[in-house]
Amino acid sequence: MSYFFPDDIVKNEKKERDGIIMIEANDLSFSYTGLRPFVLDQVNFHMDDGAYISVVGDNGCGKSTLMKLILQLQKPTQGSITCKAKRIGYVPQKAEFSNEGFPITVYEMLYSYQRLLKIKDKKVLLEKLNLVGMSDFSNALMDTLSGGQAQKVRIARALIGEPDLLVLDEPSTGVDLGSQIEIYAILKKLNEEKHMTIISVEHNLKAAVDNSTIIYHLSTGHGHFCTPQQFAKEYLDIVGKGSENVKL
Amino acid sequence: MLSYSFMQNAIIVSIFISILCPCIGIFLVLRRYSMIGDTLSHASLAGITISLLFQQSPILGAFIFTSICGALIEFLRNYFKKYTDLILSIVLSLSVGTAITLISSGKLHANADSFMFGSILTVTRADMYMVVVLSLLSVLTLVFLYHPLIYIAYDEETAKIAGVKVKLINYIFSILVACAIAVSIRIVGVLVLSSMIALPVATALQLGKGFRFTFLFSIFFSVIDIMSGLFLSYFLNVAPGGFTALVSVFVLLIVLIVKRIAMQIHAKTKE
Repeated sequence: MSYFFPDDIVKNEKKERDGIIMIEANDLSFSYTGLRPFVLDQVNFHMDDGAYISVVGDNGCGKSTLMKLILQLQKPTQGSITCKAKRIGYVPQKAEFSNEGFPITVYEMLYSYQRLLKIKDKKVLLEKLNLVGMSDFSNALMDTLSGGQAQKVRIARALIGEPDLLVLDEPSTGVDLGSQIEIYAILKKLNEEKHMTIISVEHNLKAAVDNSTIIYHLSTGHGHFCTPQQFAKEYLDIVGKGSENVKL
Repeated sequence: MLSYSFMQNAIIVSIFISILCPCIGIFLVLRRYSMIGDTLSHASLAGITISLLFQQSPILGAFIFTSICGALIEFLRNYFKKYTDLILSIVLSLSVGTAITLISSGKLHANADSFMFGSILTVTRADMYMVVVLSLLSVLTLVFLYHPLIYIAYDEETAKIAGVKVKLINYIFSILVACAIAVSIRIVGVLVLSSMIALPVATALQLGKGFRFTFLFSIFFSVIDIMSGLFLSYFLNVAPGGFTALVSVFVLLIVLIVKRIAMQIHAKTKE
């Protein structure tokens, strides 16, 4: 499946935007109780505008917490985090999306969202549905869609309002392989052709290595940036060490 | 029957109830908060008894006290994030405790029984005007908050990120719930009021359609339930609240049966 993006972007834009900071964290610490131990402990980083950043790490390392801090759904316990995005598109994790049985069609779901953003033109949602290859499903109930289809609709929703930052929480969870390929192709195109900054919390390490321009590896409350190639090597080293300890 | 002024009042009030209750109910049911309707309808009894004690309008008393309890539920949600059902127990204890204490004190200037079971005879012209005003205000607010309310019910996190003031709208919504309860207590009564909020929505949900369709059919079933409950209770000389609840369960059963038959016919035609 091919995806069409209108050619309305000046080619040199990416060059001009390189080096502009989108998100900056200074001595960022967070715990849900407000006390030690911190989920994130004295974290410092900046994420560049136009980058495709995958945030990876073990369960409980603070990936989702970091995402909530970026989205300003949580406030830092100490330090600060600033996001310069004018508009953020958010694609929630499927497992957290517990509203099964909610009687809403794809069209209704997108239209209500665009009304929240004070956009009245119905063409906007149809254009976004077309962008993710879901225009034939506008009258389908959200509940009847497969995991991959529902995820594509959520991406279409996140794109309404032309966000400059797209945040995704485990976009491939509960999605079949074919749809995963389509979803990551969409994300990569958005990043490469529209120069949209993408931050994706990932469990799918292959997708992280294949698609990101940079990876933020979180571990025990601290994180570091690495290239996808460096991360692949780090990961293989970890898996290698693990396999040495296995006694057959 | 229609020449009686009390019946005219009751019919007008019933029309407003049958529109307002499912409008509020659909958001409560879809947020899995239908028990809040039950708690707040019991809370309204405390408001009624307080207003009877001070010889004020019971509907206004119910509205004010239920609004306070609705806001209290929202406030306590911050302290009992993982035990939201406990909040309902706390508010229920406060309100039913107040109501029982005042009723048993014997200091009330009127009988509170009609508010428990609903009564056609007790709807005064003043009540009717108050119901009309409260209902119109509620419906206007609902129209204004329609899309934010859908999103808060469907995906609260995304609503917050889109800039919806979720906390403020939740407080406003609790006032709307209080409104729906206050306008309904005269006819439906406190004890079965939550069924008027939840059952027409439960029936419409069986149709398996989108939000707009479910919303409109919730109102349609609510009108059938409440109006037939009102007229039949008049002829049977029983309390309208209880009988309306029975009618709404009956309508739900019919829809379930028709749905099952339709599914079987559909399966057979596919074979």
